[in-house]
Amino acid sequence: MIRLLTEPFSAPYMQRALVEAVMLGVLGGIVGVHVILRRLEFMADALTHTVFPGMAAAFVVGGSLYVGALVTGAISAVLLTMLTRNRRVTSDAALAVLLTGFFSLGVILISRSHSYTADLTVLLFGRVLAIDLTEIAVTAATGIFTLIVIWMLHKELVLRSFDPIAAEALGYRVVTLDLVLNVIITLVVVASVKAVGSVLVIALLITPAAIARLIVARSVAKMMAIAALFGAAGGWLGLVVSYEGSVHHGLRLASGATIVLTLTTLFFVSLLVVVVTRFLRSKNSQPALTDSDFVLSGDAFPVGP
Amino acid sequence: MSRTPALELQHVAVAYDRLIVLEGVTGTVAPGESVALIGPNGSGKSTLLKAILGLVPLQAGTLSVLGQTPQRARRSVAYVPQQDTLDPEFPVTVQQVVLMGRYRRIGWIRRPRQADRDAATAALAQVGLADQANARFGTLSGGQRQRVLIARAIAQESRLLLLDEPFNGVDSATQVLLLQVLADLRASGVAIVMSTHDLSVAHIACGDACVLNRRQVAFGPVDDVLTAEHLREAYGPNALAIVSSNPGQTDV
Repeated sequence: MIRLLTEPFSAPYMQRALVEAVMLGVLGGIVGVHVILRRLEFMADALTHTVFPGMAAAFVVGGSLYVGALVTGAISAVLLTMLTRNRRVTSDAALAVLLTGFFSLGVILISRSHSYTADLTVLLFGRVLAIDLTEIAVTAATGIFTLIVIWMLHKELVLRSFDPIAAEALGYRVVTLDLVLNVIITLVVVASVKAVGSVLVIALLITPAAIARLIVARSVAKMMAIAALFGAAGGWLGLVVSYEGSVHHGLRLASGATIVLTLTTLFFVSLLVVVVTRFLRSKNSQPALTDSDFVLSGDAFPVGP
Repeated sequence: MSRTPALELQHVAVAYDRLIVLEGVTGTVAPGESVALIGPNGSGKSTLLKAILGLVPLQAGTLSVLGQTPQRARRSVAYVPQQDTLDPEFPVTVQQVVLMGRYRRIGWIRRPRQADRDAATAALAQVGLADQANARFGTLSGGQRQRVLIARAIAQESRLLLLDEPFNGVDSATQVLLLQVLADLRASGVAIVMSTHDLSVAHIACGDACVLNRRQVAFGPVDDVLTAEHLREAYGPNALAIVSSNPGQTDV
């Protein structure tokens, strides 16, 4: 078992992929907790599409994908924050307009290159196995910066998510806190996009935090720890599965997509475990103590965690 | 106790996008006093609370909070939202919610210290929920959540307390407890402004009342202000039927 988990990482390119995937898992997990608590899933999804034209432009002119993604990502984060201040533009409408507009711009830009389909695939689905040391360094730097900001503003960001009016009443500038969070989400999207691509990046940001949401009830900090753990585990296991499938079974499993599928599987397994344990607990205790959070119909079968 | 009024309003008018939503509010609230804001949904009660917090600009008039501008007085003003506007699934304990009242005191970056934890514990004890400190906020009943939010205001050591419909969705046993907590706060010199639909609560909890319907209908001692005539002016011809049957809804 141990051998299965470590053997794939004897080659340097696999080691680099592992470091990148684990870092992104931890980073996406922690930042994702704020995304989920603020119910910004759709906004994060839109951001993954708005970084696309920047990457496409950088790709066509041979510049840095990070810089390209960062530029359009930052523009869209600011546009979003501003647009939703207008009371006649709902945030969902603003997101939909920006998402589709930016994405189309990206498609038009990339369609001007010769190897249109291949280039599009790289940008949409990423290439975690082709990550080099510079990219790892960029991810590490982004990660450290992001985590420091998240750590410093922890109590303010949590207060803003939980009770925005009280935050304003206490004198906090909610717009500023929102802008900071939007920029942080953009940074994480940009850092992840080369490895897993702009379509799958949302999974790194949402799925580990969604798993943590299932497990943790009373602490945002604990949620972050659990999300980071699952994010890292998803990265590691995903690479193992993709290596095993591709090298030993001839299945050619795309590594970025396999990481995402691993996280999805972890989510459903966690959901099953949580639902079943709650069901068993409510069955063993008095009816008055039944947890009303979950209504379970039909028979549940016992599954150990 | 200082002689500066906790709240002083002079011909206050508030507008959203140039549309006046409330005007002609004039009155004074002394430390230890309590005023009930009475009026139908959309009458401007929540708007007035927001103006006192300095969250909406004044179109006309002057408003001073503890002798200062609303923005400068914020740290000494506590706002208690309706408990049912908060997400019950949010992963936060009762203790953590109460600690939020200390955040400005604690400052940026720093974490709560022992003194802050002690203040939170004392505030929870004051509202009778010391044993619930580690429960998730959302697992408490509506009335208990309301008390937690008041404990947060106590932990803030505010001198002016603003409550938005504090008796909404609260059973009568909790209502008695809440009234006692508010009376204790007043006795310690805290001024209270609360919006409410419940006239009997206004009579019990407040010395003064302010009847609103997009403008000030009346402001003064409850017995003088809560008359059939004023209520008809605020709620229309069927005022008494509406006021006695309407348990209160949100109009933020």
